Amino acid sequence: MVHMQSEIKKIIIVGGGSAGWLTAGLIAAKHIKNSAANTLTNSVSITVIESPNIPTIGVGEGTWPSMRETLKTIGINEADLFTQCDASFKQASKFVHWENAPGTCDINHSAASAYFHPFSLPSGTTKLDLASYIGEQYSNSSQAQTFAQHVCFQSVLCEQNLAPKQITHKAYDYVANYGYHLNATKFAQLLKDHCLNKLGVEYLSSHITQINNDVEGDIASVTTDSVGIVAGDLFIDCSGAQSLLLAKHYQIPFCSKKSVLFNDSALAVQIPYDDDDAVIASSTVSTAQTAGWIWDIGLQSRRGVGHVYSSQHITDEKAEEELIEYIKSSTSAKQRQSLSIRKLSFEPGYYEKFWHRNCVAVGMSAGFIEPLEASALAMIEQAAKMISEQLPANKQTMKITAKRFNEKFSQHWQQIIEFLKLHYVLSKREDSSYWLANKESSSIPQSLHEMLELWQFQTPSSYDITQSTPLFPAASYQYVLYGMNFKTQPIRTANRDTKAIQRLLLDVQNKRQHLAKAMGSNRELINKIKQFGLSQI
Amino acid sequence: MTNHVLLNNIEHKDLKINLERSAQMGDNVWYTQTFPMEFRSAQAHYPILFQKDNGTGQITPVTLFGFENDNNLFLKNGKWDAAYIPLAVQRMPFYIGFQESTVDGVTEKNRVLTLDVESPKVNKTHGADLFLEYGGNSDYLEHIANVLEALHHGLQENSAFIEALTNCELLEAVTLDIELNDGSKNQLMGFYTINEDNLNSLSQYKLAKLHSQGYLQAIYMVIASQVHINDLVARKNTQIAL
Ligand SMILES: Cc1cc2nc3c(=O)[nH]c(=O)nc-3n(C[C@H](O)[C@H](O)[C@H](O)COP(=O)(O)OP(=O)(O)OC[C@H]3O[C@@H](n4cnc5c(N)ncnc54)[C@H](O)[C@@H]3O)c2cc1C
Repeated sequence: MVHMQSEIKKIIIVGGGSAGWLTAGLIAAKHIKNSAANTLTNSVSITVIESPNIPTIGVGEGTWPSMRETLKTIGINEADLFTQCDASFKQASKFVHWENAPGTCDINHSAASAYFHPFSLPSGTTKLDLASYIGEQYSNSSQAQTFAQHVCFQSVLCEQNLAPKQITHKAYDYVANYGYHLNATKFAQLLKDHCLNKLGVEYLSSHITQINNDVEGDIASVTTDSVGIVAGDLFIDCSGAQSLLLAKHYQIPFCSKKSVLFNDSALAVQIPYDDDDAVIASSTVSTAQTAGWIWDIGLQSRRGVGHVYSSQHITDEKAEEELIEYIKSSTSAKQRQSLSIRKLSFEPGYYEKFWHRNCVAVGMSAGFIEPLEASALAMIEQAAKMISEQLPANKQTMKITAKRFNEKFSQHWQQIIEFLKLHYVLSKREDSSYWLANKESSSIPQSLHEMLELWQFQTPSSYDITQSTPLFPAASYQYVLYGMNFKTQPIRTANRDTKAIQRLLLDVQNKRQHLAKAMGSNRELINKIKQFGLSQI
Repeated sequence: MTNHVLLNNIEHKDLKINLERSAQMGDNVWYTQTFPMEFRSAQAHYPILFQKDNGTGQITPVTLFGFENDNNLFLKNGKWDAAYIPLAVQRMPFYIGFQESTVDGVTEKNRVLTLDVESPKVNKTHGADLFLEYGGNSDYLEHIANVLEALHHGLQENSAFIEALTNCELLEAVTLDIELNDGSKNQLMGFYTINEDNLNSLSQYKLAKLHSQGYLQAIYMVIASQVHINDLVARKNTQIAL
């Protein structure tokens, strides 16, 4: 017999940042009927508690394509992102000066100081492995094109800052896979309005001062400074970096990853464009520095730029100098007049577990690793999706779900860490202790060592990836490896269908040419969406 | 090339409009915009479908004259082979332009009649006169002015009509499979039509609302017009048999 008391009916979400509202939205869209809170037909209620004293982190402006599916599920009208969140399209990450420091680029070699990691897979990924073929060509001669240009038509849209869809595409449909760049604060506001007005989520603006356990040790309630005690059955910790429930209350140990990924600081700044028609970039540009890298994200009205660095390897002052130097090359003196630079610090790593008793952490409260490849929001989406789809019926089964959740997300963190580390390990930079230390064997996880050994003779494939729903598919590893001119020399290629491969490669080139003509600029499409909206059919 | 100029009875007093309907005269279009008020006349001859405007993504109803660009199956020996020609075709080569005028400090936007003087229909020897001997409008020009007026108001109604349809989820993408007598199979994509299942399961409330807006009748006329797709196929078969 299952006791009525142990049913999961009242869900309390602590925190109203991107994590809190994405989680509330995904759970509400699935579990609250008739968009009305507290009706008897609903099996659960959801309450978000947000402190009026603690602002949200306010960064986190690059998403993955998974965000399209997430927002569709929540029921957000895609056009609203463009009218309300200053949003633009993200189609790739672009890495500049990661392989070689500026000025040291070997002139004989494929020349590019930058490469793309686009969101579309290489052509024919499911049938043929273009990478192994290209890899072989690469080792024979110097190439005029980069790997992504060879195998993925989307590269042309990224190079020319063209849009991934046309105004005639319905909401969330595309020619080339995309996510978003958006204003994080406005995004949280849009999600909040939608959750409260359309999905029947309840909201309390109050500061939590105390967490109260029941006799078993589960969380029974939280005490707030203005609305009294709020009880619940499941508590979702979206309280940001302080991890109010998981770390502060339950004291779950933290696994620091600073010895693998050194970055622990960021300087963030917003730079308005100086004219309304400024080009909006199709990718997040990541430019390597002497002890970190600078992100550059183009929204409609401004760019968001920031330097992520390792405080062990560079002082804040020097990091700021590099940031200013970077900004100088792309702005007018007028634009630089009133910049306000914000400093953020973080401890790279994640908690030993994320779901403990009736408390599960989502977002910064579960862990954070530097924003290279911008995986934080994608992790939030995956976590919230699993909580929503696997929402335990009662506390007895919650233990099982919690165990699975912890296993799955520990694996995700490990993959992210290895994949990010790969970007550093492949670098040929030797211009600072930071880049040298990054290649020291002791800083490289064992399984990454092994993969690098394998990849000398075979291309990254799904065999390299243990998860069933990985954050990064084999294609991502290929884009980074061959973007950085890694050499794979396959020795067993006898029965390869060279004709089919060449046809596929030609097809990519044809598509590139066609799309360069057919697609409009990001700015053009965004203006149209703001004027006409996006159709639902 | 087009060149739209404001029509006036001095500069344009000798102009005539060639009333022949042919490819040479620029009539070889395979669909044109329509609007609910025109559905009654249009559905007697043409399939009415919906299409997205390439420039704006906005959905508009269209009457279909053929299956591909530059192939209007209603053009025959210099005539249009149907008793009713949609207004958006009838009005060629005239357009509505807007002119700002300031009277007593108040700026107003006025609709004005413009003519595409580059149109092959415009000439000085064949067809209908625009103006009478002493500068008055010819009956033809009066008719055109009425056509443009009706078209202007009709097209304005489209956005409310389309919104009502999308709110009730009554539009769906459709692919027309066209098989011709020569055995060729063709797919026509990019059009939308009424989702009859959704229409049949609409609530009384929504049906009543569509009815009161006058849209229910328009919807049924669109559905009824679909039989003309077969007529188009027949015309196409005749064309390829020639
Ligand atoms: C420099 C940097 C760059 C980043 N770039 C990216 C990127 O490009 N892409 C990406 O996906 N992610 C990025 N991230 C991560 C991303 O910003 C976060 O994952 C995301 O914003 C989610 O944050 P959050 O909601 O967990 O926390 P927060 O935004 O910090 O929200 C915490 C919430 O908890 C509430 N709260 C706290 N304490 C209490 C209390 N006592 N009582 C009640 N409420 C309380 C606060 O009021 C607030 O609402 C970046 C992060 C950093 C640091």
